[in-house]
Amino acid sequence: MGMVGFLVGVFGGLLLSHAAYATVQYRGMLMIVEEEFSRPPMNIVMELVLGLALCIWTALTVPGKFLSILPHSDENRLVSLPANLDFMIFNHRGKVFPLKQT
Amino acid sequence: MVVAAEEKELKRLETQVENGGGGAWDYLCLVRKLKARCSHNVLKFGLPILKDPNSRSKLGSDEWTLYEQVAIAAMDCQQLEVAKDCLKSLCKKFPESTRVARLECMLLEAKGSWAEAENAYARLLEDNPLDQAIHKRKAAIAKAQGNISSAIECLNKYLEIFMADHDAWRELAEIYVSLQMYKQAAFCYEELILSQPTVPLYHLAYAEVLYTLGGLENLQMAKKYYASTIDLTGGKNTRALFGICLCSVAIGQLTKGRNKDEKEASELPSLAATALMKEYKERAPDKLPLLTSTVKSMKLFS
Repeated sequence: MGMVGFLVGVFGGLLLSHAAYATVQYRGMLMIVEEEFSRPPMNIVMELVLGLALCIWTALTVPGKFLSILPHSDENRLVSLPANLDFMIFNHRGKVFPLKQT
Repeated sequence: MVVAAEEKELKRLETQVENGGGGAWDYLCLVRKLKARCSHNVLKFGLPILKDPNSRSKLGSDEWTLYEQVAIAAMDCQQLEVAKDCLKSLCKKFPESTRVARLECMLLEAKGSWAEAENAYARLLEDNPLDQAIHKRKAAIAKAQGNISSAIECLNKYLEIFMADHDAWRELAEIYVSLQMYKQAAFCYEELILSQPTVPLYHLAYAEVLYTLGGLENLQMAKKYYASTIDLTGGKNTRALFGICLCSVAIGQLTKGRNKDEKEASELPSLAATALMKEYKERAPDKLPLLTSTVKSMKLFS
């Protein structure tokens, strides 16, 4: 997945740069026929959109999976709070039933 | 915070050590990390390590941590002689330490000589008036003597200075709950949720306090907090699922006969009941008929 995603990303980048190059050429051609540049031709716009989509897809998949905001929510959830040891008191049945020494 | 995986690991290590499989030190480390209170086990597994000079020297400087841990465990088990021995070695190593002095005061507490302990703590506070642990111990002494109101006073004074201490807020909340002062307890739980919004157990405790307070508004709030507990635990908290069911039944009884604009919320309780049924089927199939009849009597399924 990583390698494929990376290649798709490179391809997207190439598409974007090719679109830029094509636009520059198109403007050069317009200058020769002496027309105003209003917007790039449709096929370049399509190329741009496709390149953008591929780059977005790569950026979302290649770095790794999304984690849930709460890391404990699924398998590893919180089950109990720690015993409040700072406030531990010794009044319990341990006083009446002392542990037998082994 | 104790998460499910660590709890399982703690149980596994405990049985392993019990059956002579070694790993006592790992067990003790995990107990320290989770702040679990398994004093008898700590005493049983930790004391042999301390008595054996070989394994003790293997620990390096962790030896002293183990001394402290075993000393507290011994106080908790009323093995005061053992605790005294541990403290003696600690005193020899760290003669000037406040931490050791605090342990000695705790030994006085374990003996039940409250006045002496209080005096000793007061002396320690003179040297360092902002020692949080000692302030907390003072509250604990008051509680141990059954003097709950002065424990509350102590904690309130402490929380005025150290407002971010969530352990103290939790202790205060639990004391208030034990005295049935639910409004005050609810305030403490609000503070806890503010300081640690991702801990589902505080949401659960707050919801329970609100449910106990009763009244339509509180019940509706309680239902919301039960729902957020379910959200935060991935739907695995049985108590919260039951809470949703009980809350919606209570709300239904209070709003009976009045306008029925709560129709859209009626999906939640039946979903909770379904989740409960599923969990019971998986983990306690013999209790399932009991649950089914309870749910039926609540009339959660329309």
